[in-house]
Amino acid sequence: MSVTTLLAVDPAESLHWLFPALPEVIYGGIASLTIFAALAKFALPQFKKSLAARSERIQKEIDASASDLATAEGDAARIRTALGDIDAERKRLLADAQAQADALLRDGRARLTAEVVELEAKADADIAAAAARSGDELRTEIGRLAGEATDRVIASVLDDSIQQQLVENFISKVGAGR
Amino acid sequence: MSDARIDGYARALFEVARAEGTLDEVEDELFRFARSFESSDQLRNTLTDEVIPAEKRQAIVETLLGGKATATTTQLVGMVIGAGRGRDLPAIIDKLVQRASSAKKLEVAEVRTAVALSADQQARLKAALANATGKQLNLKVIVDPSVLGGVVATVGDTVIDGSVRSRLDNVKSRL
Repeated sequence: MSVTTLLAVDPAESLHWLFPALPEVIYGGIASLTIFAALAKFALPQFKKSLAARSERIQKEIDASASDLATAEGDAARIRTALGDIDAERKRLLADAQAQADALLRDGRARLTAEVVELEAKADADIAAAAARSGDELRTEIGRLAGEATDRVIASVLDDSIQQQLVENFISKVGAGR
Repeated sequence: MSDARIDGYARALFEVARAEGTLDEVEDELFRFARSFESSDQLRNTLTDEVIPAEKRQAIVETLLGGKATATTTQLVGMVIGAGRGRDLPAIIDKLVQRASSAKKLEVAEVRTAVALSADQQARLKAALANATGKQLNLKVIVDPSVLGGVVATVGDTVIDGSVRSRLDNVKSRL
């Protein structure tokens, strides 16, 4: 549409049924620009400020998460270290227990061996003493029986004539003694 | 029993025997009885058993010695047994023998033989021992089968041992 056409048109009328009337466009446009300007002047800074605060808050949360992550990783490392220490302590305790058990077993075996040796020595000594005692008793008994037998034999040999001879010999010897 | 009490009994027996005028005979009989008493466990146990009444023990003495010893000997032994001094009878009699020997200025010579000696042998033995010891002796002969043969004479502390037993013991000890 040309300018002349526009100028020829009644301002109260719309050039097309789809478009509003020109004044309405003008006023509406001015009002829109005013509103946009007001928004740009007053609302935009607030919006930017709010956006910055939000970004800052998110950044803080990200930082806190990173810190928490680092802390968690540290804790995990400490726990792993502690687990390693516990495992080492468990191994040390098991080794100590094994060493004590070995020492106890070794001492017990040594003591039992010594006791067995001592008992064997005592048994040998007892057997030897019993054998010697039996031998002594046997010798004593043989001596006693031999003595009795000798007495009987001699008593049977010493008849009256020999007895008298012995007495006479005694008298002669004693009488000649001084 | 104390020595004083044994001495007392010995003196009493000695005085009784001397008063009876049978000291030598009683002394000899008592000595032989004492040796029999020492060598026989049965006789010793019977005559010292306090459970047996004194009268019964005295009756046993009467039975043993009656007719074989003088009445004085029998009565003296019965008196000691009846008084409950049976255990000390050998010691009392030994004291009596010592006292009797001392009264005659004699030393007791105890002679042990396996067989009995004749009177002649006793006299010659007594003379031989007197010659050997230089003492006047009161010979007391004891028949002791354990001697086996020969003679063992004891005069005081001196022992003259000519027994088969001692020779046999010597051989045994050497073996």
